Amino acid sequence: MWFGPNLQRSYKYMMFASKMPSLRIDQSDLKCKNGCDYFGNPQWQGYCSKCHREQMQRQRKAEKASSATLPKPETKKPDRGLKITSHSSFSKFEEKRHRQSETLKKANLLKFSVFKKSSTDDYEHTSEKRPPEFKIPAQVNEGMKRDFRVRFPQLSQSRSSKEPSLAVDRDCRAFVNSFIMDVIKCTNVMTVDELSERVQRQYQRFMKHMDTSPHFTNVDADTKELLMDFVEKHAMTYLHELPSIVFSPNGTEDERLDRAMSERIQQLSWVGERHLECRLDMNNAECRQLLYKAISELLGMDSALSPGDKLSRVRRCCRHVLRLCSSTAPASADDLLPALIFTVLKANPPRLVSNINFVTRFCNAQRLMTGEGGYYFTNLCCAVSFIENLTAESLNMEKKEFDCYMAMPASIGGSAWAAALSLCGAAREADEQRALAHKLRAHTTAIHERADLLAANAKSFEEQIAKKVEDVLAKTPLEIKPRRELPRIGKFKEISTAPLIDLSTSHAHGEPQQSPEPKPEPQPEPAASQEPNITIQASENEPKLNILGFEVIERQSPSKSPQNLDQTWDLKQTSSLELLTPSPLGFTPFDSRSIDELMTPDDFGTDQLPPGLSNINYDIDLSDFSGDNSIAEDAPKSDPKDPFSPEALKKVTFDPFAPQTSRGYEGLDSFDEFSFIDQRKQETDPFEVVHRGQDPFSPVDIAKDPFFSPQKQPQQQSTSILDDNDSPTSGCLLPSPMQPQSSGKPT
Amino acid sequence: MTSGPYNYSYIFKYIIIGDMGVGKSCLLHQFTDKKFMADCPHTIGVEFGTRIIEVAGQKIKLQIWDTAGQERFRAVTRSYYRGAAGALMVYDITRRSTYNHLSSWLTDTRNLTNPSTVIFLIGNKSDLDGQRDVTYEEAKQFADENGLMFVEASAKTGQNVEEAFLETAKKIYQSIQDGRLDLNAAESGVQHKPASPGRPLAAPPAARDNCAC
Repeated sequence: MWFGPNLQRSYKYMMFASKMPSLRIDQSDLKCKNGCDYFGNPQWQGYCSKCHREQMQRQRKAEKASSATLPKPETKKPDRGLKITSHSSFSKFEEKRHRQSETLKKANLLKFSVFKKSSTDDYEHTSEKRPPEFKIPAQVNEGMKRDFRVRFPQLSQSRSSKEPSLAVDRDCRAFVNSFIMDVIKCTNVMTVDELSERVQRQYQRFMKHMDTSPHFTNVDADTKELLMDFVEKHAMTYLHELPSIVFSPNGTEDERLDRAMSERIQQLSWVGERHLECRLDMNNAECRQLLYKAISELLGMDSALSPGDKLSRVRRCCRHVLRLCSSTAPASADDLLPALIFTVLKANPPRLVSNINFVTRFCNAQRLMTGEGGYYFTNLCCAVSFIENLTAESLNMEKKEFDCYMAMPASIGGSAWAAALSLCGAAREADEQRALAHKLRAHTTAIHERADLLAANAKSFEEQIAKKVEDVLAKTPLEIKPRRELPRIGKFKEISTAPLIDLSTSHAHGEPQQSPEPKPEPQPEPAASQEPNITIQASENEPKLNILGFEVIERQSPSKSPQNLDQTWDLKQTSSLELLTPSPLGFTPFDSRSIDELMTPDDFGTDQLPPGLSNINYDIDLSDFSGDNSIAEDAPKSDPKDPFSPEALKKVTFDPFAPQTSRGYEGLDSFDEFSFIDQRKQETDPFEVVHRGQDPFSPVDIAKDPFFSPQKQPQQQSTSILDDNDSPTSGCLLPSPMQPQSSGKPT
Repeated sequence: MTSGPYNYSYIFKYIIIGDMGVGKSCLLHQFTDKKFMADCPHTIGVEFGTRIIEVAGQKIKLQIWDTAGQERFRAVTRSYYRGAAGALMVYDITRRSTYNHLSSWLTDTRNLTNPSTVIFLIGNKSDLDGQRDVTYEEAKQFADENGLMFVEASAKTGQNVEEAFLETAKKIYQSIQDGRLDLNAAESGVQHKPASPGRPLAAPPAARDNCAC
C-alpha cells in the first residue's frame, strides 16, 4: 500500500518459507550447536559438517513425509531442524510456502541460531506452550531494567515505597517478553501483514492493559505513551536484531526491492533540483550544510533499530529539509515534498524499502497516523513512491531526453551510495572543522575587541594624562606669571582681600608696568637686563615678598638684622608688623602682612631693596620649583643662563641668612625660568624643549642644588621645599599662608 | 476535569488538499498559529500542525496535515489521506483552474478516505474580491451538489478560517455521536483518549468508550 502494486503484492500475497541468511553470529555460536566440540559453520546452520549432514537428512525425511510435492530447492530450507516450529504450524507453513514457492529465497542459515545462546529467563510465559529452549536472553531484560530506570526515574524511584510502580516495570518487561515470543512464534505461520496486524493488536492490548490494570492507575497519559514507546522500542530492537523476522522478513521482496530502489536512485542521479522544481539555493553554503545534515539523518535511519528511532531520524531529516526550503520563503508541503525527493535521490539510503516497510508494519499505528513523525514519514513514503514511479512526465521533460538520461550507465561516477557516504563523512568533518574555526574566530575577535578596548583605554588614559599635564602646565605658567609678578600679584590679591583702596590702586599702577616687563624677557639677556627692573620692583614689593614667604621675611628680620641692607628692611617690616599685629613673635596673620606689604609699597624707592628683592624672588621660585618638576627643570637652565641670579644667589648664600638666600636664589631662578619658559614656548626654541625632556632629572638636581650647594641650613631649606610642595601650582595664596606658619614655628 | 491545556479526549486528523498555491499552508498556519505566513518565517514548533479546540465541552486535538498540491505528485500523495477524519478542500477564488480541479480532488478524497470523512470546501483568498474568478454562488452550488460544506475564507485576514476548522470538527464529533463514525476502525482518523488517569472514565454521552481492542 505504500509502494503501489508491486509492494503490495510483495508483502500481501507472499509467504515466507525461506529465512534470510544471518550476518550476525556471535563468537559463542562458532562451536557446533550440537555441542560436539567441533567448530560449526554458518553455512551449515551452526553445526559442524557431520552434524549438519545428519540434520539435513533428518529434515529431508520429515519433509518428504509431510508433503511429497515440495519442490526441490525448498527442501534445503533450514528451518526444519528448529524446535520452534510446532508440527501444526509447520504444516501450515508448508502450505503457504507452497503457494509462493517461486519467490523463495535461497537461504542457508539457520534462522534462530541466535536463540541458542539464551541462558536463563525468569520470565514465565503461561499462555505460550512452547519448548523451553526458546527464551529471550537475560541481557535483554537487564537492558530493559536499566533503560527503564533511566527513562522513568519517577516510576523507578517510587518503587521502594509503592508496590504498583514496581509492577509497572515488571508489567512492561513481561509484556515485552510475551510480545517477542508471540512474534517469533507467529513469524513462521503468518504473512507479514498478518504479523503486522498481530503486532498492532499487541500494542493495543498493552494500551488497554495500562488503562485497566491497577498497576498503572498512578501513571498519567503522557507517561503511558512513553511506556508504550518504551515497550515498542525494546521489543522491536530485539526483534530487529533477529534476522528476517520483522526487518525485511522472509517471504517479502523487501530485500530485492531495496536493491532495485538503490539502483533506481543511482540511475536517477542526474535528476537535479531544477527537474523537481524545488527552490534550493545550492550555491549557499548554509543550504548545502542543511542538505548534508538531512542526508546523514536519512542514512542514519538504517542504523536505528526500533521503529520509533527510525521515525525520529526521518523527522530530523525532514526538519532539515524544511529549513532548507524555507531559506528563501516560508515553506509548505508544496515545497517539502520535492525537496525531500531531491534529498532521497542524493542520499540513496541503504535498505530504504525495508526500513520503510518495517516502520509501516511494526510501528505503533497511532504514531504513524498522527504527529510530526507520522507526517514526515508519510512524506518520505510519498517521495519514495514518486521515485519508484518516476517518468518523463513527472519531471516535465521530453520522453526522449528522459530516456537518454536513463540510458546512461548507472555506474557513471561510481556508486552513488559510496559517494553519498563519503560526502556525508566529509560534510560532518567539515562541519566540525567549521565549528572549530568559528569558535577560534570568535575567540580571536573577542581578544581583538579586548585589545582594542585596552588600546582605547590606554589612549584615553594617555589623553587624560596629557590633558592633566597640559592643564597643570597651563595652570602653572599662569600661576608662574603672576608669581613672577608675584610681588605685584600678591599686592593685587592683598589689595583685593584688603580693603585698602588707595594702596591697591597705587600697586595696580605699579603692577601693570611690571607685568609687561616679564613678557619681554624671553631671553636670558633681556631678563638679565630687566632684572634690575625687577629688582627695583621687588624692592618696591619687598612687603609682597614677605607676603608670599612670610616666614622668610620674619626670619630675615631677625637673621638679616646683622646684614646691612636687609637689616633696614627687616626693621621696617618688623616695625610695621608690630604696629599692625599685637603678637610679638612676628607670627602675623596673613592680613596683617598684607597690610605690611601695602605698607611697603609706600616705601618705594628705597636703595636697600635690590638685594632684598633678590632674596624675595628666590623664595617664591622655590615653592614653584618643588611644586612642579617640569618647571623646576627649567630652573637649572635659567640658573646658568641667568648670570645674575646665581650670583645673587651666591651672594645671598654667603649671607648668614642662608635659608632665606637659598630660597631667594631658587625663587629668582624659577622666576627667570618661568618667564623664559613662557617666552620660549612662544618662541619654540628647540634647545629649551630638549631641556624640558631632560626635566625629570634636572628638577632633582635643582632641588639638590639648593639643598647642598647652599649647605647652610638644611632645615630651613627643607621647610621651604615643603612649603613649595604644598603651594605647588594651583593656589598661590594657599601656600603662602602655609609657609608663614611653618616658618613661624621654627622661628 | 482537571485537564490542562494538553489534555484532550479526541484526536481528529485533517488533511488540507488543493492545487499548488491556493494557500493550504497559509490556512493551516492561520489556524494553528493565528498568523499569516507571509509575514513571519515558518518555524516548526514542537507540536506540529496541531491545535486543541473544544466542541460540545470536549477537548479535541486537531492534527492537520498539509499536502503537496502539484499535479505530478497526485499519484503518490495518497498516503496522506489515510486515516483522515476531515478533509479541507481548498481552491483559490481568483484562479479558475484551481476550482476546475476540484472534482478530481473530490474523487481522490472519496476514494481514499472512509465514507464518514467530512469534506469541507474552502474558497480561499476572499480578501482579493476584486480579482475574483469564481463566484460564490457557483461554488456554493458545486458544494451542495456534492454534499460538501462550503465557506469562503481568507488566510490573510483570518476571515472564516476558524469557522471552517471548527465546523468540520463539529460535524465529525456529531457523526461520532450518531455512531456513523466507527472509532474502532483503524483509519477512522479519530483517536479517543481516555480521560485523565486514575479516575473512572467519564465517557462522553453518546460516544463510544475507548478503543475496545
